[in-house]
Amino acid sequence: MGAAGDTIKAGRRSLRTGITGRILDIGLYIVIAAFLLLLGWHVVQAENAGSYFAQITYFALANGAIYALIAIGYTMVYGIIELINFAHGDVFTFGCFLSASLLPVFQLKEGQVWGPGTILQLLAVMIITMLACAVLNVAIERIAYRPLRHAPRLAPLITAIGVSFFLEGALFLWKGPSQIHYPAVLPATSWSIFGANVTLTEVTVWVTTIVLVVALALFTDRSRLGKAMRATAQDRDAAALMGIDINRTIAATFFIGALLAGAGGVMYGLSYNTTVFDLGFSQGLAAFTAAVFGGIGNIYGAAVGGLLLGLIRTYWDGYFDSAWSDVMIFAILILVLVFRPTGIFGMRVPEK
Amino acid sequence: MSKRWIRSASLLFVGAFIAAACSTGGGGGGGSKGTIILASDFPTSGADRASGRGPEAGVDFAVSQNTTIKGFTIQHKSYDDAVNGVHDPQKGAQNVTDMCNNNKVLAMAGPFNSNVARAEIPVANKCNLAMMSPSNTNECLTQTFDYCDPKPSALRDSSQPNNYFRIAAPDTVQGPAMADFAYDTLKLTKVAVWSDNETFGKGVADNFAKEFQKKGGTVVVRQDFDWKNTSDFKTFLQRAKDAGAAGIYAGATSATKGCIPRAQEAGILTAAGIPYMGPDGIGDSQCIKDAGGEASNMYFTNAAADASQDSANKDLIDQFKKAYTGPDDYAAYTFPGYDCAKILLDAISRAIDTAGGNMPTRKQVIDAVQNTKNLKLSTGTYSFDKNGDPTNATMAFYQLKGTTWTFVKQFSTGQ
Repeated sequence: MGAAGDTIKAGRRSLRTGITGRILDIGLYIVIAAFLLLLGWHVVQAENAGSYFAQITYFALANGAIYALIAIGYTMVYGIIELINFAHGDVFTFGCFLSASLLPVFQLKEGQVWGPGTILQLLAVMIITMLACAVLNVAIERIAYRPLRHAPRLAPLITAIGVSFFLEGALFLWKGPSQIHYPAVLPATSWSIFGANVTLTEVTVWVTTIVLVVALALFTDRSRLGKAMRATAQDRDAAALMGIDINRTIAATFFIGALLAGAGGVMYGLSYNTTVFDLGFSQGLAAFTAAVFGGIGNIYGAAVGGLLLGLIRTYWDGYFDSAWSDVMIFAILILVLVFRPTGIFGMRVPEK
Repeated sequence: MSKRWIRSASLLFVGAFIAAACSTGGGGGGGSKGTIILASDFPTSGADRASGRGPEAGVDFAVSQNTTIKGFTIQHKSYDDAVNGVHDPQKGAQNVTDMCNNNKVLAMAGPFNSNVARAEIPVANKCNLAMMSPSNTNECLTQTFDYCDPKPSALRDSSQPNNYFRIAAPDTVQGPAMADFAYDTLKLTKVAVWSDNETFGKGVADNFAKEFQKKGGTVVVRQDFDWKNTSDFKTFLQRAKDAGAAGIYAGATSATKGCIPRAQEAGILTAAGIPYMGPDGIGDSQCIKDAGGEASNMYFTNAAADASQDSANKDLIDQFKKAYTGPDDYAAYTFPGYDCAKILLDAISRAIDTAGGNMPTRKQVIDAVQNTKNLKLSTGTYSFDKNGDPTNATMAFYQLKGTTWTFVKQFSTGQ
């Protein structure tokens, strides 16, 4: 962790202990309470309030899970080398494109009859996509970021933007300028829970996200490489002195972040049945926002931030005027950052 | 030196003028009184020829049927506004300048594209040249809305009479037309409406909602989406379902995710029971692809009437096809172009009467066009309001059947 991170940490610590910290915390709670109150007021007013609320919540959780999968990649990279990897959103889009092309190769098409074999086929598509994204992200790190590791801060930021445009151009050449239909391969099976439908697509998104986030948490907490990643994030030079291979550790961070982005790409396609070459820009921006929301550099923060972003957007779409969804998201973001400059979870260094 | 140049140039000009006058005078058989030129301006070269050649051929066909009117010889002079194969506003304005400087040109059919019209109207307005477009649909050419830039008044000199007319329905008519269709033909009483929050999309969606409510229907959900930032329409669909919507209207184009909500209906609504409607922007193959497995029971409106749908036009179309056999001659806008020329020729004929059988002025021609009353032609029956819009525009409806959009019906809609 560089000097800037320390400043943030130190600044925050003094903020939390002082009396002003308390007041700011109270301010944040008031903001959250006000939003919940406004939402609650509309929820009880709606017709068949219960089942509708449950239905919107299921959508919201699926949307949030997809944001979370992308946001984690941003936060991991930021945590370890303090770089905003603008290309991450495009790696996610690459995952979406690649899986759309792989589905027919694995004999998966719309209106598919399902059996145990088909589940394995979809899993194979997912794993290949995740690995391909991971390899792509490691290659990006090797070519565009590693040579600039000791360059001034702005240089890798610019190469990140450059790589993002390059990838968008490549995706444009691959599938053209218009939207691509992503085949709805999952059957329309659904279960009724609390009077609302939970579709197989939503269950797939939830299960995938939970499995990957838990696996990632266990990996960073328990494994040697995970420990090396945390050490590198905390102090790169000290970690190197302790015999940690910095290059390998950073490459691993990019690898793991892109695994999740690849899975996110598949989930996005299955959920919305569409993709487009510049999807990474809008989704990347939203996911980056989620990472800042939760506290950038913090994996749990990114997961929770993504989930919150999905909840805010979908509840707003469901109960208010959807034209204002983005305005609402950023209004809440600004308020949260005013009261808690390091995001909801803050920079909890050991958990990076 | 320079003076001599000017003198010789002007001499040459006068000479050419006399020669031209003589040759045209000799050519006109019964045209003892002189020659009147009906000009046309369409993109007729390169890639745009596919759009522009049809109406050009239509105008030519109309003139060939009326080579003389009340002693005057009628000629068709064709201009091309394409540069490198793409319609070009500046080239269009240049063509109109040329027409203005030729006092035999009394009216012009065209242009094809709305942005070309925007550049041509001010030029033609200065010399009172009547314009008649078969295909311009941009509402800002004739009607004033807050979002119009430039406003129609900026294109015209307020002291001059309006010289611009069109037979295509402006974009503002599409929404209400579909609302009538939804209420009267599809028998819907509750619909959900969304738009892409762009000028065109929000405009048609608002106009649809307004007319649908006027008819007695209810718009149960009305949402706008920032289409660039979201692909999630499930929440909207759920709202529509809970509110009991029996149909969905999309104020969007295929490029602004117009048909993606259709694909996401799986598990929420049944496509077979819920018609999905939109403006001409969704009437393409991209929309069908985007809708995926739910691509059925979809409708869109189109501002161009299809002449072949009226059996009364059969002989006329056969006659045309016999005389014009080029690859782009018979296309969607051939007969709208033909009708433009017919309206102008009808107006010129009446203007000659106004002028006491002499060569009419351009202002007299404009007046005559404005006073066109219920002129029945191949694509509709035409009169014009003071803005130059048709009072009865024909709107065609298309339905998705199998994997292609097929014609359902067309009818005139009042504005």
